[in-house]
Amino acid sequence: MVDITLRINGATCTGSPEARKTLADFLRDDLNLTGTHLGCEHGVCGACTVIVDGRAVRSCLMLAVQAAGSEVTTIEGLAPDGGLGTLQQAMWDSHSFQCGFCTPGFVMQAVAFLGDHPDAGEQQIREALSGNICRCTGYQSIIDGVLLAAERNRER
Amino acid sequence: MAAIAAERYTGASIKRSEDQRILTGAGRYVDDIKLPGMLHAAFVRSPLAHARVLSVDVTAARALPGVVAAFTGAELEEMTVPGPDALVALLGGAGPTPEFTLLATDKVRFAGDPVAIVIAESRYVAEDGCEIVEVGYDELPPVTNASFALDPGSPPLFANLGNNIARPHSRSEFGDVFATFADADRVMDFRIEVHRHQNVPMEGRGCVASYDAGLGVMTVCAATQSVHVSKIAVAMRLGIEQDKVRVLAGDVGGSFGLKIGASREELAVAAASRAVGRPVKWVEDRGENLTASGQAREESFDVRAAVSNDGDLLGLDVKMVIDTGSYPGMGTMVPATVEAMLPGPYKLAALGFESTAVTTNKAPYVAYRGPWASETFVRERVLDLIAKDLGLQPLEIRLRNVAPRTDPPSMMITGRPLAGVTTRESLERLAQVVDFPAFRRRQAEARARGRYLGIGVATFIEAAPGPRSPEGPTGPLGTESMRLRLEEDGIVALFTGQMPHGQSHQTTLAQIAADEFGVPFEQVHVVAGDTDVVPFGLTGGSRSATMAGGVALHGARQLKAKVLDFASHLMEASPRDLQITDGRVWVRGDPASAIAVAEVARRAASGQFGSGVDAHLEVEATFDGGEGGWSGGSHCAIVEVDAETGIVTVERYVVAEDCGALINPAIVEGQIRGGVAQGIGAVLLERSAYDEDGNCQSATFMDYLVPTACDIPRIEIEHLETVVLDADVNFRGVGEGGMIVAPPTVVNAIEDALSPFGVRIYEQHLPPARILELVAAGS
Amino acid sequence: MKLPHVDYEAPKTVSEAVELLAEHQDEASVLAGGQSLIPLLALRLAHPAVLIDINGIDELSAVSATDGWVAIGAMTREYLAEESGAVAEAVPLLAAALPLIGHEAIRSRGTIGGSLAHADPAAELPAVARALDAEFVVRGQSGERVVPAVEWFAGYLTTSRRPDELLVEVRFPTAGRGTGASFQEVARRHGDFAIVGLAASLTLSEGAISDARLAFAGISDVPVRAIDAEEFLIGEGPSPGLFDEAARRATDDIDPPADLHGSSEYRRKVAAALVRRSLRAAADNAYERQ
Repeated sequence: MVDITLRINGATCTGSPEARKTLADFLRDDLNLTGTHLGCEHGVCGACTVIVDGRAVRSCLMLAVQAAGSEVTTIEGLAPDGGLGTLQQAMWDSHSFQCGFCTPGFVMQAVAFLGDHPDAGEQQIREALSGNICRCTGYQSIIDGVLLAAERNRER
Repeated sequence: MAAIAAERYTGASIKRSEDQRILTGAGRYVDDIKLPGMLHAAFVRSPLAHARVLSVDVTAARALPGVVAAFTGAELEEMTVPGPDALVALLGGAGPTPEFTLLATDKVRFAGDPVAIVIAESRYVAEDGCEIVEVGYDELPPVTNASFALDPGSPPLFANLGNNIARPHSRSEFGDVFATFADADRVMDFRIEVHRHQNVPMEGRGCVASYDAGLGVMTVCAATQSVHVSKIAVAMRLGIEQDKVRVLAGDVGGSFGLKIGASREELAVAAASRAVGRPVKWVEDRGENLTASGQAREESFDVRAAVSNDGDLLGLDVKMVIDTGSYPGMGTMVPATVEAMLPGPYKLAALGFESTAVTTNKAPYVAYRGPWASETFVRERVLDLIAKDLGLQPLEIRLRNVAPRTDPPSMMITGRPLAGVTTRESLERLAQVVDFPAFRRRQAEARARGRYLGIGVATFIEAAPGPRSPEGPTGPLGTESMRLRLEEDGIVALFTGQMPHGQSHQTTLAQIAADEFGVPFEQVHVVAGDTDVVPFGLTGGSRSATMAGGVALHGARQLKAKVLDFASHLMEASPRDLQITDGRVWVRGDPASAIAVAEVARRAASGQFGSGVDAHLEVEATFDGGEGGWSGGSHCAIVEVDAETGIVTVERYVVAEDCGALINPAIVEGQIRGGVAQGIGAVLLERSAYDEDGNCQSATFMDYLVPTACDIPRIEIEHLETVVLDADVNFRGVGEGGMIVAPPTVVNAIEDALSPFGVRIYEQHLPPARILELVAAGS
Repeated sequence: MKLPHVDYEAPKTVSEAVELLAEHQDEASVLAGGQSLIPLLALRLAHPAVLIDINGIDELSAVSATDGWVAIGAMTREYLAEESGAVAEAVPLLAAALPLIGHEAIRSRGTIGGSLAHADPAAELPAVARALDAEFVVRGQSGERVVPAVEWFAGYLTTSRRPDELLVEVRFPTAGRGTGASFQEVARRHGDFAIVGLAASLTLSEGAISDARLAFAGISDVPVRAIDAEEFLIGEGPSPGLFDEAARRATDDIDPPADLHGSSEYRRKVAAALVRRSLRAAADNAYERQ
């Protein structure tokens, strides 16, 4: 067991995970933040994506102990007070998702990407999201949601 | 379509009510469930494809700190009741029943076959426990392909079958096969193979099982397409009375046919939870999902086609072999549907069809989105091959062979009427949207510069739900039930046996009921996923648009009639003079009379009325599909093939589809695109691969490749929304169509691209290496 | 798919890390970015007794350009190397390869040193290092030594790092005027490992090729330099015919592995196609950098 302190969604959290416990499992099991999903546990599908110190990362490929001292944002922390952020609203408006299992990973990856590339075009967005797997949608509706969010961000 | 009240919701892309929770991480999937005292299960799985099990020693695992229990296959047999697969029993599966157990006892039959279950405080510890279970195996020669399975000398997987024939050869004939072939201008022979691939939902199978010994009640939270079918499976296998089993489901992360009934592992988990007296959770990881959950589509076809010199497809004679893997179930039932669907929308005069199902030491065959889809692949491939031989264009040969739309409708040679089929119109729509002559010019210019573009077309129909049959509805899925209740607070509650796993029923059924009843969309709640509360049902087979949409429509109408009957007592008006709009009941022509539906409900619940007034505002509705009908469409793909690397890019993909009336266009389009993506994936990327020893070589996402956002283009969709068959219910299903017709569409396009090399394609899986082999062989 | 038990150490300095490595030797795995190691652990294909997490060692993340070399600290995140102006300017072949490594989220955590110490022959960075004759600086109990790329890659997932040594820095030679680079690969999907990849660099001097580097990913258990083809190119003027011949010389005698994603013959053909395409692109880039 290793004692760790970190900030999750703006709040300070402590824990004592085993060294072998992934950040994904720590979030889901120890902190009850089950929005982050496990789709493969070997770093390919992206369903577990969270933001650590400003960068999108696959939480199944980080040990919880490695997040000590970091700022972590999960899907639950994107829009406090039960609202929807710009991207989430745009995805709702675009019918982006179906079964919803891949959704948190896509949302976190897209949030991180749009933050760094606010004027990205469709092809860039496709490449940026090509590390997230969705089995339901064929991706078009997800891309549309991201494009809509980018447009709305520019209108502000 | 007279009877829909105000078409405010139906037909519009209403935003989903599911999304508030989906987009904020508040969905509740099985792995999100935590119960007090809950334990976690993991399975010891065979590393060998075929072996006798000599010994299973769980002693060390039991002694590991954190492990609470471990059970062998034999121990689980003591705790459960033997029996057949519940889904197969439900659907009337045929063929001899091999004996098999929840976990392997005497034999393992595929690499990944579960042999023991370990229950521990965490999944981490359960896996630690699995690593120290010792199993003694006596290896047997593996049967890894159908031709060996057909050989009587192959070691039988099941002693009581004596060989590896899961369903013996049977042949049917429709029309005069002999004469059709004898009189044909030419007879062409092909062998066409479809490769093994699989569902791969983003969420694996899993459940949390919890047994209350005091009440004798087993509760299972499952990832499933039908809580009732799961319940039947659990009750049968655990020897518990059905009313003492409750199955719940929350959000389900995709399924595509995989999660129906209860798998051997889920039943083992339920039995184990009863034995240890604590809730037990098991969710399969991706390795288990890819190797052990089940696979599909591995089928081969020897096809003879009777053809006229002008391009009429007169008859087909087909021999099918289906590789059902190790524990036969769904796979034995697929050939019958393939046979029934093979003629498609064409004027076929004769069909001979025979099939054999074999067992092999690979994962079991499971239903995968359009399980019979190979019929469309075979037929649409054969048409292109015939066209090439005769110098015809793909659209041309199809238009020539499509059965005309007549009244009464033409009959498929296999017995079903082609009522309302708009294949001709969908092909013509493709020709309007895709400029074929311009493409041919571009193709020629590109070839001159060493670039290979191709165009492919394919068409299909699917029974979603299929035309009304003269004998009436058959089987437990022949009718759909729904309970509708006006709650005290004015909510119209729909209790449905549908179990959405991406289909958005929470939204679509509410749209229909809101329109029919007369309340705002937000005032309708769809309740699913609790066997104590919802009627029998199953989401699958592309039936929910018609069956569930239809029962929602008729049920809402019946509930409205009841409510108006009751309201007539409140409002001193005849029910005939009352209407409901925007959530208020009012006397026609007198807006001032309006009272809120919620107020009517409150009064009904108040108990103020005597037995002369029916204040019970609830109905149990059933719907048998009405006139039903076919869904279908034609797809077109434009691809580019890099002849040096074999990489295929899908440049453009166009769909002309007809599913009758659209409940929610965005949702219909999402279903189509998702299906097309799986079809593109099947051709270019996905294969469930085994080596000759039966080891699964596609056990991670690094080897089982699923398409990503860079692999699927924008898919253009034209909606035909034509023939009205039923007075009220003209929504037909689209769940499976994309996956059924996309593979031949893409393969046809690839063959067209490679025609300068003389390539002919008789298979569905075309990874880059295979493309280069075809190019080299052709040139 | 949960990780097995493992002890965990998080040294704060290179010396501490070296001490730990000396103590545990082959029983230890070094945890850098984790993007390759953690999947191996999750699949229970690796069972080290100890993980030595070097993410807390600050001194390993510098990028500096000096005297004809760009020195990159082993813990430099791939995304930072991608954003580095020094790398873009001075090591164009590395800059070309970096965006092809997996996906953004992988590059958020993956490190230059980690990838090169893992030495997957189908990965991009080993081919780049081999093409450029990069130098690997390792520190062990007996001090520091510098290993040239040709000696670094010893076999499949095997380097000549001794069990008590830590890779601390990788040095790439600066590309001179007239040097153009191209990294191309054929992968099943965007971001996947290369089925075959090629790191190519050409230097043009007065219209003739004065230096040529061709290093393959994915055709052997280590990255492979196509020395014959390189020597053939020297002194010649770029032309399609020249590149065709170079492709033949680079691939006629190779015997790539076969797997689910491609046969040996397929890899050989693709390798030849990549030589033609990469040389064309490298030559174009070289003209621009004259």
